[in-house]
Amino acid sequence: MMTKQVRYEALVKALHGDLYRYAYWLCHEKQVAEDLVQETFLRAWRALDSLKDEKAAKSWLITILRRENARRFERKRFDMSEYEEATITDTKSVTTEQELENHWLREKISQLPDEYSEPLVLQVIGGFSGEDIATMLDLNKNTVMTRLFRARNQLKEALEAEPVKRGMTNG
Amino acid sequence: MDDLQFRRAIYAEPNNKDADVLAAQQEDASKKQFAKDIALLDERIKQAMQVPVPDDLCDKLILRQTLASHQVQKRKKRVHLALAASVAVIGGLMLNFMQFTSAHNNLGDYALAHVYHEKGSFNNNATSQVTLTALNQKMATFDGNFSEPIGKLLFADYCRFDAMKSLHLVFQGKTSPVTVFIVPKNEQLTFSDKFNDQALFGSSLEFQHSNIIVVADKNESLSQWKQHISDTVSWSI
Repeated sequence: MMTKQVRYEALVKALHGDLYRYAYWLCHEKQVAEDLVQETFLRAWRALDSLKDEKAAKSWLITILRRENARRFERKRFDMSEYEEATITDTKSVTTEQELENHWLREKISQLPDEYSEPLVLQVIGGFSGEDIATMLDLNKNTVMTRLFRARNQLKEALEAEPVKRGMTNG
Repeated sequence: MDDLQFRRAIYAEPNNKDADVLAAQQEDASKKQFAKDIALLDERIKQAMQVPVPDDLCDKLILRQTLASHQVQKRKKRVHLALAASVAVIGGLMLNFMQFTSAHNNLGDYALAHVYHEKGSFNNNATSQVTLTALNQKMATFDGNFSEPIGKLLFADYCRFDAMKSLHLVFQGKTSPVTVFIVPKNEQLTFSDKFNDQALFGSSLEFQHSNIIVVADKNESLSQWKQHISDTVSWSI
């Protein structure tokens, strides 16, 4: 029989990475993302008995995290510009070409409006279907699909628009 | 499926496995190429989104939870202790209440209950007899005195009358023993002048510090017994 402690540790080990990444793309700050994840798991521990279906764990945790994030905005209402935050993130780790591109793309993702980036993160990192995302974000499926389309479309356009600059940076 | 529809479907979900989307790819090489390009783009997006997770995050999460639940457990232990203590106190009070409060709240009820309880102990035709002197020695406890014998006294001893030290006298009656209690006054039991049930009836005499209760079967004349007692008893204070 699994004790609550064992269930919790399994949950942490399996999902903390995805949850942290999701939190990061939600708030664009490493420290805040970490705090959010900590707060989320603490709440999850308290409510762990209410989680009946382990398969639903990820979306359950994401729901808690979104609520935590919303609370953060109730507490403090200042908002730094997204572009700055994105540049703060990790300039130091730019070493290989792959990482350079990741870095560049990260910036572009950060510049997407939140309503586009959030479903995209849920789809790419969370592996959720359009319907799952619609339920989690309380939107209808068509809206979610449209936002996903626009998000990718914008990223593709951005990639196509700046080949020269990227070439220079890479070289 | 037209081109715009196809593009939207692929953009929204690069690994779209819908039948018509797959069919469209089969029919048109450029669509297949497009789907491939977007899948590649998606792979790059995925790579970019995989921001490094702090190495110690997992441990931190477990540590924080362990500390938090330890606090909760400590609080719970205290609550349990308080609960146990409360239960013990209430249990004690209940026990006290049950042991030391009377089940009966008037003299008559108690007297009848007492008589029934000891019914088998006394034989109306017993030969033993208690002398007046012995009786008066016992009566001294209640500062009382009988000037002459009231009847044939079969038994006289102290007893517990609703937890009060009382004198229990049994006289020979016409058909069954007549019981007389001398009981100190007590606020717990209300004085009842006359009482009865199917077989027995009783009556009480009220004196300054004590009550005298007579219980007999219905063949006896209670008033005669009462008269006799009040004529012969005297109280020293």
